[in-house]
Amino acid sequence: MKNDIIIPVDIRLLAAVISTKFLKTIIRISGGGATAAPGLLAEYIDPKALKKLGRYYDGALLVTGTNGKTTTARLIGNILKEAKIAYIHNREGSNLLRGLIGALAENVTLSNKTKKLALLETDELTIPAATNSIEPRAIVFNNLFRDQLDRYGEVDKIRKIWQKALLQLDPATTLVLNSDDHSVAHLGSSSKARVIYFGIEDDTFSLKKLPHASDFTNCIACGGQLRFDRVYLSHLGKYKCATCGLKRPKPDIYAENILLDEENGFSAKVATPKGSFDLKIGLPGIYNVYNSLAAVSAALALNINLTTIKKGLEGSPAAFGRTEKINLDGKKLFLGLVKNPSGFNEILRLLLSGHNDKYLLIIINDLIADGRDVSWLWDVDFEELFSKKEVRRIRVAGTRAADMALRLKYASTKAVPRIEENLEQALEVSIEEVPKGETLYVLPTYTALLSLKKILAEKGFGKPFWED
Amino acid sequence: MAEIGNQRSAIRQQNHINDESQLSNFGSLKLNIGWLYPRQMSTYGDRGNVLTIWKRAKWRGIAVTVREIDLKERIDPTRFDLYFFGGGQDQSQKIVSEDLQSSKKEDLRKAARIGSVFLGICGGYQLLGKYYRPATEKELPGLGILDVVTVASNDRMIGNIVVEVNKKLDAASEKLMVGFENHSGKTFLGKKVLPMGRVVVGYGNNGQDRTEGAFQGNVFGCYLHGPVLPKNPSFTDLLLEKALERRYGKIELSTLDDDLEKKTHEVAIERAKNNR
Repeated sequence: MKNDIIIPVDIRLLAAVISTKFLKTIIRISGGGATAAPGLLAEYIDPKALKKLGRYYDGALLVTGTNGKTTTARLIGNILKEAKIAYIHNREGSNLLRGLIGALAENVTLSNKTKKLALLETDELTIPAATNSIEPRAIVFNNLFRDQLDRYGEVDKIRKIWQKALLQLDPATTLVLNSDDHSVAHLGSSSKARVIYFGIEDDTFSLKKLPHASDFTNCIACGGQLRFDRVYLSHLGKYKCATCGLKRPKPDIYAENILLDEENGFSAKVATPKGSFDLKIGLPGIYNVYNSLAAVSAALALNINLTTIKKGLEGSPAAFGRTEKINLDGKKLFLGLVKNPSGFNEILRLLLSGHNDKYLLIIINDLIADGRDVSWLWDVDFEELFSKKEVRRIRVAGTRAADMALRLKYASTKAVPRIEENLEQALEVSIEEVPKGETLYVLPTYTALLSLKKILAEKGFGKPFWED
Repeated sequence: MAEIGNQRSAIRQQNHINDESQLSNFGSLKLNIGWLYPRQMSTYGDRGNVLTIWKRAKWRGIAVTVREIDLKERIDPTRFDLYFFGGGQDQSQKIVSEDLQSSKKEDLRKAARIGSVFLGICGGYQLLGKYYRPATEKELPGLGILDVVTVASNDRMIGNIVVEVNKKLDAASEKLMVGFENHSGKTFLGKKVLPMGRVVVGYGNNGQDRTEGAFQGNVFGCYLHGPVLPKNPSFTDLLLEKALERRYGKIELSTLDDDLEKKTHEVAIERAKNNR
């Protein structure tokens, strides 16, 4: 007789787990990429699946926020790997409840011997369900911006939903909060959870004024207008309420001496309560400074040492299509996911930081995963794009190509883009007209990125994302 | 007494208008746009409306100024030809309603009386009306320059929307208007307003009576994001003509190349039918 611990078998859960694993295999064999279906099935068979499955894991680490979830989760994953901590991750960007269940069900071993940490990229509105079902060791709140308002509704409502979800937590959970984002910095105030803050302490990157697409410019406590001494991106910066005095908490973990190397990445000095280190990483833009700081903070919450953290971060490749470079026949392809005004503004800022000629292909879809309302394109500061002379050619594609073209027309009549009906052709002609050695910047919405990845995979570039 | 004083200055303003209307050179026309609360009330790409009026005026050689009007600022009611008032979040709507009452209400009502054009979208539309009544909190008073009232509901009216334009609206060349609605407030029309149109696809004012939007004189309000003006160019030009009329009388606007605007309009109709 073996000495395995025998655990009472929950038939319903077992059925859910087995069918999930089975369905996953079928989908892979048939070459599909549907990542939510298995979790959906498990949820259907056992509605309490997440809570039950959570017991088979060594706690969870949730990563949320409008932008940077995937990148931050992957950075944390790389640190965990470096620290030799066994973990599972919903890597495929499937971050709704069914995605979390799917990831836990697929990887579970129904024995208590080798519990792994569950690293879960979590959709903003899934946070209450997730914190109800599993006790997180840490939750990262990166930022909150207007995004897919047809699905999420108002950003202030999301903030309130978060605040409420955190009430039940105790000091065993650490909240990792971005001190520069007024909407998340004060989430810990009514919760018993431990709080650590991260932020930027480098004045050289301050924008001259708040971009139009800034969401939290009034105080969440008293409604008074916030005063911004520094603006790093959107409404992120150093702020203070002129009326009630509520101000940015001082960050425990912060980046200073930041050097942005255009599309190639950045370097910075990262200061923490456990000492500081120099970081050089292949992820570009200010937003990736925040993603990196979030990852450092989460890792510190798990007591991982700085050497390991640095090593894990510096070995990280760009997350799936978030910003990614592909070499193509002597030409470069830069992929940058665009899904909301703040993210799009930052991609444009990144693009304009270099002085090479710009060839662009923008692909705007309006399917559910993209957000069906394309109004947001008018909150993006495309005018900036034409303030410099390097833009050579813009093509647009996708179900809402015309909307994109029209937005650009009202930014500048000098560069009315060409509308391409067919995505594959759009990609082909766009690549063709880029001279050797130059870069084609492809900026797709989410579902457009999926189609694009498929086309590129068929041409032999990159892998389809579910193998990633 | 104050009332009489106001009338006098309104008359003086009339004379002023007559002087300027004698200008024959199209190129010296001016348009002053007042953009109400761009910080608080512009979450759904509504600034595209301001950009569109501005550009379509500029392309016709009209000199445009856009002035952002913030919380606490006072307004000279004779200064602006057109006011734009976008949509915002609940918290913003509350702050803005209070500010309208304390700093702007009388001047904006006066501006409406002397013929300034107003366009309110979503939350802005609601505050052009008499009040917005939230589910639990107390009523937020509006400007009352549109005879409409809005009450909160639990229905989320979200999706692409197509509206058949009210013939009395006078935006002759386009039969349909397109946009994207996203509201839970239900707006009901009073006797002094006419609906801007009848819903073909979507919910409209309240999801019940098939009406969408409202207008009363030169005051217009509707639920159409998208934003509404870029892809409904004849409505934009109607607003532009009305805004110029106050100073310059009837003006025939030159035609612009609207191929792309029309294409976007068509795509929006298509998407509304297939992707609601």
